[in-house]
Amino acid sequence: MNLVEKILARASGKPSVEPGEIVIAEVDMLLMHDLSGYLTSGVYDKQVGLPIPHPERTLMVFDHHYSPPTEQQADVLHHNREWARRTGINLLDCGNGNLHHAAVRGGFVKPGMIVVGSDSHTPVHGALGALAVALGNDSHAGTVLPYGKAWFRVPETVRIELTGAPRPGTTPRDIALWLTAEIGEGTMNYKALEFTGPYVKQLGFWDRWLFPLLCVDLGAKSSYVEPDEVTEAFVRALPGGLPYDLPRGDGGEAATVLRYDVSDVVPQVACPPTVGNAKAVSDVAGRQVRYAELGGHGGGRIEDIRTAAEVLHGHTVHPDTRFNIVPSSREVFAQAVREGLVLALHEAGATWFPPSTGSNQAINMGAMAAGEAMISTHARNFPGRNGSTRAEMYLASARTVAASAVAGEIAERSTR
Amino acid sequence: MRFEGRSWAFGDNIPTDRLVKPQYVFEPVEVMAQHVLEDLDPEFPLQVAAGDIVVTGRHFGQSSGRAIATKALKGTGIGCVVAESFARTFYRNCFEVGLPAIEVPGIKDLVNRGDVLSVDLSAGEVVNTTTGARATGSPADPFLIDMLEAGGLIALAAKRPELFGT
Repeated sequence: MNLVEKILARASGKPSVEPGEIVIAEVDMLLMHDLSGYLTSGVYDKQVGLPIPHPERTLMVFDHHYSPPTEQQADVLHHNREWARRTGINLLDCGNGNLHHAAVRGGFVKPGMIVVGSDSHTPVHGALGALAVALGNDSHAGTVLPYGKAWFRVPETVRIELTGAPRPGTTPRDIALWLTAEIGEGTMNYKALEFTGPYVKQLGFWDRWLFPLLCVDLGAKSSYVEPDEVTEAFVRALPGGLPYDLPRGDGGEAATVLRYDVSDVVPQVACPPTVGNAKAVSDVAGRQVRYAELGGHGGGRIEDIRTAAEVLHGHTVHPDTRFNIVPSSREVFAQAVREGLVLALHEAGATWFPPSTGSNQAINMGAMAAGEAMISTHARNFPGRNGSTRAEMYLASARTVAASAVAGEIAERSTR
Repeated sequence: MRFEGRSWAFGDNIPTDRLVKPQYVFEPVEVMAQHVLEDLDPEFPLQVAAGDIVVTGRHFGQSSGRAIATKALKGTGIGCVVAESFARTFYRNCFEVGLPAIEVPGIKDLVNRGDVLSVDLSAGEVVNTTTGARATGSPADPFLIDMLEAGGLIALAAKRPELFGT
């Protein structure tokens, strides 16, 4: 059995499982943000209302908000706080970072776990070797909270092998965006994707993270990187360390293997209306951007902030563009302070925002007027997600986002 | 499980953000239902009738995994949703909230808005009774049919506690 099958067999108490089979398995961690937490708790209180036997297996993070801008939104957070206190679940309040980064940094997710959440990017925890799957509120309220279980269809696994050494200036984020277009949105429906190959294996943890992140746009159920020495060293340094041996699959042949060479990939921008609409930066260079943002599930990492500081060295943000930096967690902001990046980027004209999910869905920031455009490290670019349906969101690497902030338009290098 | 109804036709890659726009996510289901898909077809939320069938293209319901988009769509009273393919959380959420869903490759080209469709969920079959065209898709798993018959996942868990209880 591969890693996904092993995890599902263990958690459903079966000696083995087969793709296509529906099993009911124990869930190790439920992750919710302020919006999904509100909806799930509402369904739970109205329609279920049973005791929660394992509140320690649920984490709620307020990440779409870092401070509520309206009374209605304050009510949402107030309700969530009260619900978390009443049920005893873990809560990380405003300012702790975005859900997935905060969950990893806090040691809530470990290799081999079954992790669920309504947030569609929940599968990103496959970067740790967890089986991480996005479910809906009714699964959480109806079976995960009261029984600690959920139903799963055992997915077929597709192995994606990446080889080659990327060109200078092409970052892992560019490779991930390119791959989304190359494989095709919605073409991996219901599959589990294993990312492997020499290119993936040599990446550090937070660069590997960018690959399971894209699996939802491909349509996949989950995605993972087989745990190895990189995973082990990373997890050992987290709160709680590695409490058991690293889980591993049997390494058998996958039914489907897709191979890609990343050597010729140039920097990419995912253009509206969907994440799979990736083009070479040079194809869209010159499009004016009113906003540039490092943040969201795909950005706000210390790696992104270091890159931005490098790109802005000796430059300033274009006067017609706002460059917003949203650290993915408190730990990342602290690290940026220690490395002097906060002052350097502030003096170059960037604006720092509290650790959160930033402009994601424009709940707390990031709404745009018709005709405006943003370039960001976010995970989504659907029209209407950030204000006007006639505003445009472009997704790129931290390097391209920072260069565009300097140029005031989509640009590969900071040439102003 | 069979359904018959008048169809509404939509395109490919429609995300949940267009089913329910971010400004309505905290509103009650009845309010969300009054705005479902209004950007893509302003007549839809105004004229949709109980038992109608929504037909869409590839990768329907991508983006958010929260069940509100399926609840809003169910809130319009439609009987069933047919797509070339679904985003998997959307497909899962359809059954969990009690909204029948079926994946039928090629369906988009066989249906014009207003055609009357007959859908057999267990057999995975759709017949366009207006034109006579037929298409075969994926039958729903018996576990999912049980879920629909119970009225959704929460109702199923209450009705059959041995499924999820210890």
